[in-house]
Amino acid sequence: MSDMKTTRRIATVAINIVVAVIGVIIAYPLVWMISASFKQTTEIYQFPPMLIPNGFTFANYARLFTDWPFGTWYINSLVIALACTITVLFFTSLAGFGFAKYRFRGKGLLFFIMLGSTMVPFQLILIPLFIFMSKLKWTNGYLSLIIPFMAPAVGIFLMRQFMNSIPSELMESARIDGATEFTIYWRIMLPLARPALAALAVLTFLGSWNSYLWPLTVLRTREYMTLPVGMATILGGMLVGSEPPIGASMAGATLITIPIILVFVSVQKQYIAGLTAASVKG
Amino acid sequence: MSILESARSIVASTRKTKRGFRQDRYAPYFFISPFYILFAIFFLFPTLFALVLSFYRWGALDTPQFFGLKNYDHLFKDPVFWKSVSNTVFYASCSLFIIVPLALLEALALNSKLLKFRVLWRVVYFAPIVTSTVAISLVFRMLYNKDFGTFNGIIMALGGTPVDWLGDLRAAKLAVLGVVIWRWTGLLAVYFLAGLQSIPEELHEAAAIDGATVLDRFFHITLPLLRPVMLFVSVIVLIGSMQIFDDPQVLTGGGPSNATLSLVQYLYTQGITNLSFGFASAVGLFLFVVIFILSLIQFRVFRGFETD
Repeated sequence: MSDMKTTRRIATVAINIVVAVIGVIIAYPLVWMISASFKQTTEIYQFPPMLIPNGFTFANYARLFTDWPFGTWYINSLVIALACTITVLFFTSLAGFGFAKYRFRGKGLLFFIMLGSTMVPFQLILIPLFIFMSKLKWTNGYLSLIIPFMAPAVGIFLMRQFMNSIPSELMESARIDGATEFTIYWRIMLPLARPALAALAVLTFLGSWNSYLWPLTVLRTREYMTLPVGMATILGGMLVGSEPPIGASMAGATLITIPIILVFVSVQKQYIAGLTAASVKG
Repeated sequence: MSILESARSIVASTRKTKRGFRQDRYAPYFFISPFYILFAIFFLFPTLFALVLSFYRWGALDTPQFFGLKNYDHLFKDPVFWKSVSNTVFYASCSLFIIVPLALLEALALNSKLLKFRVLWRVVYFAPIVTSTVAISLVFRMLYNKDFGTFNGIIMALGGTPVDWLGDLRAAKLAVLGVVIWRWTGLLAVYFLAGLQSIPEELHEAAAIDGATVLDRFFHITLPLLRPVMLFVSVIVLIGSMQIFDDPQVLTGGGPSNATLSLVQYLYTQGITNLSFGFASAVGLFLFVVIFILSLIQFRVFRGFETD
């Protein structure tokens, strides 16, 4: 029995040490980023780095807003991510409702087409969609980043899965009371589907906020850039030998990531529920 | 069921069919139509366009000209294309053999009852999932810096010679891989954690009473029951790493001498930087075929779930 106790104690120590070591490795880049964002360039160059900067400064943050249109980028990213989230929630829940609660001709085939579309990587349509957007004159604007992404198949699948588990009796009694089908969706289904909506909202917002390839493709003018695209230009355009705006880029990186991580901590449950629902439920 | 109740339900059912029937017929089409309209315009049309385009020679300024299979011929003869393919396969295989076991290990540790500060660690471990790839790649670019970066700082403190992480052909590939590992492990750990939590506690308890050691239980209970999750996660990793773009783009721009260039970066360079629309579409089709095959495997895995 005492043998068991010692193995247990060793296991406890081992697990806690391993988790702590990996945890520190994961946290290190983020901590370094925040710390460097408050340092002067000369101090960023020092090794080992100090956690609390000696010459604490807000200059990097100030520079971000004077030398680059950082505020505009932030607003662009926020507007696009919110618009995507709201439209995605509406269209996917609507379609998910249609697939979960109705029987209709061609349903099997339509569902198959929708699900099959998830097998096509976005990169295949990158070039044609870019040409298309250029012809519509939608590049360098919000539309090209919102309209094509308003009804993702994965979201519809997720909503259908969730709504399948909501009993249909409520719909029947509402119908007897003379409710229209849309009222049933809006008044009954949508409130009941709140957990799935919350999970999808977090996934969609993050996907839009962090996306890079497509915004990089369609956004050319500085004022229209989203945060990731703009951020990448801060260091991208730097010349060899000139003093690189490291502090500023770290300040920008901090402002992109930290609010999101803080929000994530508060909605962690929904997010993880969404991730696993989108996958394991199949 | 009382007579009254059954009578009520009969009445209800007849009224339902009377009233609901007509609306039921058109309402679902109305509900799903926004998807199919958007799908047709922004997905199906571009997909077919890509297919056609891949048989044409079309730069931004010239008029499209039928090119037969020449785009594919040029593509398969381009050493840079094969370089990008081999780099992508490198990312994919390293991800599979490093990230998947690492994620499983993380999930096991995070799920352990012996762990202290569990909530704190979960937040830390999952932070990379929500972190912008561009932002973290910028940070890693600093950490990899050969003069003041942390990696070389540690190497020099241990008495080694500093490495030009982003300038050396071999080191640069590892540098990109490092960011990929940082970003992906937490995400996969979430899947594993969900899988672990669905394993009934009683199985472990019963086995422990029968004298099974921790390792026995891991290999004979946990691992077999995690098999579906393991397969799912592996496919996710493979599909994801075929599409790697952000990390090498921000970290190295695909350099030095294309040592880190990924397949999607190659596509982007050909299509958007050089504006060779037809040629880049051929690259896209190649990528599509690879991912299609991987997705088919994924659907097989899903079906495995359902029959289990």
